[in-house]
Formats: sequence, structure tokens, C-alpha cells
Amino acid sequence: MTRKSRKAMTGKPKTARRARTPARPAPAKKHDAIDMLVAASAQALALPIDPAWHTGVKLNLQLILTHATLVDEFSLPDETEPAPVFRA
Amino acid sequence: MLETAIDFTWSTAANIVTAISAGRTSALSVVEATIARIRARDPLLNSFTAVTEQRALLRAQALDDARARGERSPPLAGVPFAVKNLFDVAGLPTLAGAKINRDAPAASRDAALIERLEAAGAVLVGALNMGEYAYDFTGENVHDGPARNPHDLSRMTGGSSGGSAAAVAGGLVPLALGSDTNGSIRVPCSLCGLFGLKPTYGRLSRARSFPFVASLDHVGPLARTARDLALAYDAMQGYDPDDPACADRMAEPVVPLLDRGAEGLRIAVAGGYFKCRTAEAVYAIDRVAAALGANRDIEIPQAERARSAAFIITASEAASLHLDRLRTRAQEFDPAVRDRLFAGAMVPASLAVKAQKFRRWYRGEVLKLFAEIDAILAPATPCTAPLIGQRTFMLDDVELPVRADLGLFTQPISFIGLPVVAVPVPIAPLPIAVQIIAAPWRDDVALRIAHALEAKGIVAAQRPPT
Repeated sequence: MTRKSRKAMTGKPKTARRARTPARPAPAKKHDAIDMLVAASAQALALPIDPAWHTGVKLNLQLILTHATLVDEFSLPDETEPAPVFRA
Repeated sequence: MLETAIDFTWSTAANIVTAISAGRTSALSVVEATIARIRARDPLLNSFTAVTEQRALLRAQALDDARARGERSPPLAGVPFAVKNLFDVAGLPTLAGAKINRDAPAASRDAALIERLEAAGAVLVGALNMGEYAYDFTGENVHDGPARNPHDLSRMTGGSSGGSAAAVAGGLVPLALGSDTNGSIRVPCSLCGLFGLKPTYGRLSRARSFPFVASLDHVGPLARTARDLALAYDAMQGYDPDDPACADRMAEPVVPLLDRGAEGLRIAVAGGYFKCRTAEAVYAIDRVAAALGANRDIEIPQAERARSAAFIITASEAASLHLDRLRTRAQEFDPAVRDRLFAGAMVPASLAVKAQKFRRWYRGEVLKLFAEIDAILAPATPCTAPLIGQRTFMLDDVELPVRADLGLFTQPISFIGLPVVAVPVPIAPLPIAVQIIAAPWRDDVALRIAHALEAKGIVAAQRPPT
């Protein structure tokens, strides 16, 4: 039997966002969340981030996550293999 | 009889080879003049970080001695060239634009592409300035100072192969090597008005060059003509087991194909995301498209998302590469690069893998386009060279960061390793380039089109004011 993609099974549009669960507590504001992510990541990964660098790191992380949102909201079939290196 | 007074400042590599082969000058004369020009002019351009004078003079003398013995001249005999300082040069530490790397031991062997160019008769004359660890579109470097645009010394070269572009556009060398992960050959070629080749991923060996983003790193030449690109490309092709990404393919020489021109090729203009509205980019694309009879637009699907995916993969892989240095020597990075790398270390793996999955989908969709066309035209940069130190630029009434966004039209293409030739459109007061994008392994198609445009006078590397 041919495996079917999630998209084929659900009929979702390709770029559909996932439904949010309404019962969750309200998330922290995004910029606060990124502040926390920077601080927590620095601690967890042993990254020696001087407090004076925090804003620069945060702005860059915000930019990366903005790009990530654009990729994340694009639904792909479950069977899509990553392409870690380009091969023609 | 030797004519030692020939001025090779703006000569092409092909002309230098012809002059040496015909006995009108010697390799030693060419190299001596090149070194003298670098000494005189580079204090303004700041393109070189090392000049390998003794090595170059010995090499040139050896070429002349071989010719005197009656040996046949190799295809790049006596052509001076220089390399972005992320290529290993035996006897020098490989800086990759970083202060940290100055402590590294000297390289024991040249990078693979230096070996191949020298085997073809070219002569290495030095190493070139670049953005730190290649994470840059500006050509600025806090440790070595900015490379300066020969067309206007107050302006950026573009990066990260900024020194490579300044050296070639400034008439110091006819040929340089750069690297291009997201646009680092094509962006400086656009801002400095040069021809540049970002070959198909896996075509040219990266062995013994300092990495940035392994899955996106390409290396290639910058020159003042398409023929010089082809000459260098042909000399550098071929499998190399020392680079895990290098494809096991036979060399496919392009020089013999160059004069076939662009007749019969199906060429379209990239629409949608690539429809840049700045006057200079519109002019450049329209001029090139009209000359090629490319009157059809084609949509590269999800190009904006592709650019975003390249951005995420770059951030993650680069951070992974530098994680130990970030932990132990963070103070020694360029602050702008350090902040980007720290941020990249914090990107969840789930998002990086999703970007890789998207790459699979995108590659499949884009490759389908090449069933009906042979090449796609797109802007190389959204604007001409910004001022050195400029942090942002305007595009469609949106203020964008220069360091991150000058390559917004190059990233979706290198993301899937397609071959591209950047061709310079000479507009006043500053040049700008167009990308000629071809199917994988059809670097020849992009080079043929570039050469045909040059023959028609549509594109050219213009000599800057001195």
C-alpha cells in the first residue's frame, strides 16, 4: 500500500497554520519570550553572553525566528526527507 | 623581443596568457608589475591581507625557465591571482577574516583550487580581505578594516568576498577566488561591477578552505570577463576526495563552448519575489532580458520561504561550527558576527530540520522549471553599493539591514546549489549585476549567456576612475 502524506489524508491547504489549543494559558509576549529564551539558552548551553550583548543577540534571534515562522507554517508531507546537503 | 612596459592593469587573464605565449612579455615581468601595483594601490583599496611576493616571483621565474626550455605554455601561464583569506596558503595562517585565527598554525599545504590554478600556470600573489568567518554581505571587517569599492572608495565592496572583488575591480589582479554560501561572490560582483561564478554545489573542491555552512558553501572565481571565468573554471574542475561534497564527475570544459552564444536557449525572467522595484535593478534586468529576447516571466515557487530556510540553516550550521570559540573567545569576534552566531546557537533543531525538509520540496519544484527553460534571470542585489558603515537600506519603503539582507536575491538560488554567473551592467555612477541561473551542472549555459551578453556590449566590467 502506498503511504499517504498527511496533507493527502487531511486535505489541508499547503500553507495552513495549525489550529491553536484554546485551553492553554496565554503565552508570554513574544519579545519577553525571546528575552527568556536568550537568557535560558545562554545558561543551558554555557554561552558566555555579556549583558551588554543581550540586545544584539535577541534582535538576531528575533530575525531568525521570523524567518523560521515562514518556513514552519508551510505544511509538508510527513514523508518529506530532509535534504541536509544539496544533490542534483 | 620582450616588451616590459606593457600595462597589464586592466588586461584580462586571456590577454596575459596570449602575450606570454607569444613571447611579448614574461611571466616574471607580469608578476613584478602586479606586485608593484598592489604595493602602490592597495593602501587605498585595502583588499590584500598578505602578499606572497617571494613565492610569486619564484613561480614566475620557473614558468619562464620552462618556456625557455621549449615546454608548452599551460593555459593560465603567468596569470596572477589572489584568494580570499579563507583558502589555505602554505606558510600562512588561514585567517577567514578572524582575529582568532591569527593564532592558528600556518597551513602546511595550499588549498586544492590554488594547486589546480598553479598547475595550470597561474601565479598566486596573495591573500585577500573578507568579512569575518564569511558571515557578511558588506565587505567590512573590524580587524583588517573594510575593503573599499574601486568605483567609489567611500562605498562597500559587498561581501563576504570583499577583498576579492576590490582586487579585481581595482585592476590589481585579473582573477581572484572567493566563496559563496548565500551570495558572497555574487553580491560583491554586483557592487563592484564584475563577473562572478558560483558553480553548481559540489563542482569545485573546497578542500583546505575554512568552512562556514558546509551544506551551502561553494567556491568560485571573480574576473573581469566571462572568458576569464571559464578559463579558471576549466582549470579547477575535477573530482577531489578531500572535499566530501565534491561530486565524482568528469570535468566538462566550457571554454570550447563559449562561442556558441545564447541562440536557441530558452531564457525567462524571475517574477514574483524577484521583481525588484529599485530603478537600477529594474534597468539592469530589463537591459539584459531585452538583449536576450527573454520576454517571459517565470515564478520560482516559494522563493521567499527558500530564502528564510537558507537563513535558518546558515544560522544553525554556522553556530555549530563556532560553538567552542564562542564559549572560549567570544570577546575576540567581530561583535556583529558574534551576536548572529550566539543567536544561531539558540535555534531549535526542529526548525533547522524543517528548513532542510523544505529544501527537499523546493529543490524538486525548482528543478521542474528547467524542463521548459534553460536559464533564469534575476537581480543579484536590490541596490548599488551602500556607503561603508551604512547599516540599513530601503527596499519598497521597508528599511532592511544591509548585513543580513543585501543577499536576499542570491540566497534562494544557492540554497539548492544551482550554478549562477553574475554579470555586471555598467550604469552610472555605480554598477549592479544580474544573476544568470542555470540547471545543475549546466554552468556552461550560464557562462555562454554571460559571454554572449558581453560580446553584445550589454554587460561589462568597467574600469573605475583612478
